[in-house]
Amino acid sequence: MTDLVERYLAAVERRLAKDGAEDIIAELREAIDARIEAKAGEMGRDASADDIARVLKDFGHPAIVASRYSGREYLIGPQLYPWFWDAQRTGVGLVIAISLIVLCLRALASDAPVEFALRSFDEVIEGAIFAFGLITVVFVLMERTKADLKLASSWNPKGLPRDNVRKPKSMFETVFTLAFDIVFILWWTGIVAIPNNLPGQGNSMSLQFAEAWLGVHDVILALAVLGMATHIADLIHPAWSRLRAVVSIAGHAVGLGVLWVLLRAGPLVSLEAAAAESERAQALSTSVNMSVTIGLAVTGVIWAVMIGTEAWRLWQSLRPRAAAAGPA
Amino acid sequence: MPIAADILEALRLELRRGTLILAVLGTLRAEQYGYSLKTRLGEAGVEIDEGALYPMLRRLETQGLLVSEWREEGKRKKRFYRLSDDGAAALAQLTAEWRAMNGALETILPEHGLKKKEGGQ
Repeated sequence: MTDLVERYLAAVERRLAKDGAEDIIAELREAIDARIEAKAGEMGRDASADDIARVLKDFGHPAIVASRYSGREYLIGPQLYPWFWDAQRTGVGLVIAISLIVLCLRALASDAPVEFALRSFDEVIEGAIFAFGLITVVFVLMERTKADLKLASSWNPKGLPRDNVRKPKSMFETVFTLAFDIVFILWWTGIVAIPNNLPGQGNSMSLQFAEAWLGVHDVILALAVLGMATHIADLIHPAWSRLRAVVSIAGHAVGLGVLWVLLRAGPLVSLEAAAAESERAQALSTSVNMSVTIGLAVTGVIWAVMIGTEAWRLWQSLRPRAAAAGPA
Repeated sequence: MPIAADILEALRLELRRGTLILAVLGTLRAEQYGYSLKTRLGEAGVEIDEGALYPMLRRLETQGLLVSEWREEGKRKKRFYRLSDDGAAALAQLTAEWRAMNGALETILPEHGLKKKEGGQ
């Protein structure tokens, strides 16, 4: 009969800190015995194994009872929890972005980029899981050591973002955009080479930028760096949507200027080919230039619409402030 | 629409959490051992799981609000608890706080439960 009680107490004791465990178990034994005795008194007979099992079940699962003695009911308590997800979002996002960039670079340097990227994608996932685990361990340690970061008391209401019109970009959208920015900059500056042979033509014809691009090369690079900087800001401060809107309007306006220069400058691409292929290259060059020109013109229309949209959002975010300011 | 049982249970637990400590401190003005304390609380209408009561007693003792000693009574060794001087001072302050809060709530809460919205809305 007491076997059940001893097994229950042993299950609790296993989960207790050694210091004080003996005292706690002695008290629990006394409490359980008192309950069983009272139960037997109520029934007018000795408590059966089933009666004792019911008493123990009422007492609670050994893990729950032991945890109440530890005084630690949370892995990450309510004081730290809100910052836990912020830290995960930023930390895991950065790791994924960096891993993707490294993956892209290694893939581009390999003989079969697509196959290499697919084969190595699990490294990105492993990195994300490792970052998640590491951040979790840091927060658990902070909870255990009762680290007081004064995060909840040191904030300033004046530092809150002003605009609430636009939802911040998702972490994954930002991460992928950032990875693309970096690969583009590395390619544009010539650090990473991407094969420019014309598809279906073997190695006989290659596509080259025409001279028209030379004048706008640095401006495009500056725009790409600016875009990357805003995407990093998105990752760290996703609520800075007003800043993002201003930068986006300015960036796209400069971009329209670049397109205007390019479209007026004439041929945008040239085809380099062996002498035997020069006639065919000439014909192809005309159609490729036509395609690129149309592509840039369509891009210009899209950017003009984006400028309009961003300007409207910016105006919307400014409007409530003007209304709230009231009469002067 | 009726309130979901789990929501009501969560609200009830939240409401009870702070008051249980006050009930335990109040009962321990007179010396009790664990089982007799639970029985006393039950008679007063305050039910508490033993799995929660004993850890709470230990925590209150660690905080210096209770003192305890093992004694033999009725052929069994039992741990007896009572309020310490600090515990008595804490009980006095918490009681004043409780009464003030209770008085404030009395002016807010309706006497016989919530009336249905006026005008049959």
